[in-house]
Amino acid sequence: MLVVTNLSKQYGDVTAVEGISFEARKGSIFGLLGPNGAGKSTTIRCISGLLKPTSGSITVGGCDVQAEAKAARKLLGVVPQELAIYEDLPAIDNLRFWGKAYGLRGAKLETRIKEVIATIGLADRAKDLPKTYSGGMKRRLNFGCGVVHKPPVILLDEPTAGVDPQSRKRLFDMVQAERADGACILYTTHYMEEAEFLCDSLAIIDHGKLIASGTVDELRSQLGARDVLQLTGMFPAEPSRLAIRRLAESGMQSLEVLAQDEQSLTLTLSAGSQHLPEIFAALSAAGGKVSQTNLRSPNLETLFLLLTGKELRE
Amino acid sequence: MPMLLHSIRKDLSRWRQDPTAILIWIAIPFLVGGLMTLLMSDDGVRPRGVLLLADQDETFLSGLVAGAYTLGELGELLSVEKVSLDAGLKKVDDGDASALLVIPEGFEDAIFDAKPVTLLLRTNPAQVILPGIIRDVTEILLDAGFYAQKLFGNEIRTIRDFHSDSRPDSTTVAAIAVAIQAKIEEVVPYLDPAALVVEVADPPAEVPRAPIGLLVLPGIVLMAIMFSASGLAADYWVEREQGTLRRIVCAPGQLGVFVTGKALAATVVITLIGGLALFAGFVYHGISFSRLAPSLLWTAVSGLALFAWFSALQMLGSSKRAADLVSTFVLFPLLMAGGSFFPFEALPDWIAAIGRRTPNGFVADRLTTEITAAAAWSFDSQSWLIVLGMAASGLAICGWRLQAGFARA
Repeated sequence: MLVVTNLSKQYGDVTAVEGISFEARKGSIFGLLGPNGAGKSTTIRCISGLLKPTSGSITVGGCDVQAEAKAARKLLGVVPQELAIYEDLPAIDNLRFWGKAYGLRGAKLETRIKEVIATIGLADRAKDLPKTYSGGMKRRLNFGCGVVHKPPVILLDEPTAGVDPQSRKRLFDMVQAERADGACILYTTHYMEEAEFLCDSLAIIDHGKLIASGTVDELRSQLGARDVLQLTGMFPAEPSRLAIRRLAESGMQSLEVLAQDEQSLTLTLSAGSQHLPEIFAALSAAGGKVSQTNLRSPNLETLFLLLTGKELRE
Repeated sequence: MPMLLHSIRKDLSRWRQDPTAILIWIAIPFLVGGLMTLLMSDDGVRPRGVLLLADQDETFLSGLVAGAYTLGELGELLSVEKVSLDAGLKKVDDGDASALLVIPEGFEDAIFDAKPVTLLLRTNPAQVILPGIIRDVTEILLDAGFYAQKLFGNEIRTIRDFHSDSRPDSTTVAAIAVAIQAKIEEVVPYLDPAALVVEVADPPAEVPRAPIGLLVLPGIVLMAIMFSASGLAADYWVEREQGTLRRIVCAPGQLGVFVTGKALAATVVITLIGGLALFAGFVYHGISFSRLAPSLLWTAVSGLALFAWFSALQMLGSSKRAADLVSTFVLFPLLMAGGSFFPFEALPDWIAAIGRRTPNGFVADRLTTEITAAAAWSFDSQSWLIVLGMAASGLAICGWRLQAGFARA
């Protein structure tokens, strides 16, 4: 339904997106994950027609977004990261306006407005001005305006940014309802737990490049059963590195250094909790001092750490 | 309902939420217009001065002097009030009169005996014209008295002596008459024919000129239109900051409808505001209502053109603040030059010529013609084409700017 092939976007000398390819299917949620500035929003803006790609192609429902822009846009529903609603127009009129802008008319429009206003939980405030709403309510209306015309492809750009837990839960329900209705959803986020919970398949991007993709299970399997151990303290560079290498050679074969500097050391290993005493002893013997320990079981966040050597939210 | 109508309705509904702005767009031109009309209106009342006369001589001649100030057209400008010296000084010092003329005791004797005499004329420094007239008239009277004394001094003295003692006999009267007649006959050859002939020509017939208060009206209507057009054009920045411009760019083929809808919604508001100003002006100045429809249509089309250009100007700004500053820098000089603060008829010709070439000045000039012309619908087709061309080009620039990046930022 949505096919992105070798997409690149450059701003002068800066490459925001470089050779990204992925495909999202009907009735599924495709997650685009990455830290802030990774190129997620640029990708969304290229798909929605706000930006012209430097190279590559994008098709929506078989329509090229550049060559057949009007046909492609009819199939798209965009829920931008920043609010895009009329704060001085009642919520119901916001939905009516955006429904009309995408070609809905008459009874079909009115029926759809009733459905959406109920889904986003604003039926009792439908005639109020959005400027009187809470942040979460505005986010829900923003979502409603993007899906009021029942688009087959929905682009959700960080829809839960700055949203309270209650509204976040409601947004998840709405996204899942759209998937159940057969929509193809592209969902960008930098919250890995959201992606794991919602998405059927994922692509992880960093510095504009796609570094991993697949279903959540496929991506998890790349980690094997390894934990991520983050140590904070004082770690003399060379002695610490040698101490870890000796441990790996002495039987702790899955032990690997992901990142290291004077104040922190990030390792990956199997059954991490069982090897903590040996690791502490080895580092202590090498002149190191551990002041804080963080041991995490494998998830997408640790996969990102494994792939890039840095935290997703850095 | 087509998308265009819905787009118009959307903007009207939004702008209705901000009645303060609309009130300001109406109130400022009304305030300025009211003041200008009051300042420039000719109420038809001619200024009239008061000449205080302290006659300490109370003779026949001093009475003649007092009467001279109220003769003919001078009487329409001045009224003479007899006062005592003290009361006169107080009144003129209080600014309650144009001047005080003191005729001293012995004035008549001094004139008849050709002796020096001093008249005191004290003028009100707060007035310029009327005291000047009184001074000139007094000097003319004194000159007349001097020459009369030179010519008929003996006869006048004879009459005075009788006047004070007893009635003259017939022989004396006849002798005085003969003497005066002889002097007149002696003088007549010098006077007739006159050495100078003054030919009085009728001035050219004046072209009927509209009252200045009426000429203020088009400038005031344009001020209301300019304020509202400039204020409504800033809505593009509001939409950009709300993110709705980005969303409309993502919608299939709606940008043209969006720009047109916003322009037409603005035209509705501008026409209402301009129409209100026009209606008030028509009622106040008693202008025939047959001119209201063409004036209103002209206001609407011109409002659309000005809105389109102010919108284009807003979209050229790099930030909302920069756009507002640029708009303000353009708005006020245009109002000044375009006849909104002073009508073209009150400006020097070269400034008026420049002002008529500004967009608002052009519109105001044609509106002035419409409300002062012999018949309604005085706008020519060229004027309509120019204004429609302005509107179309302004809207085209708006569409181009939205596509070129303003809406996508």
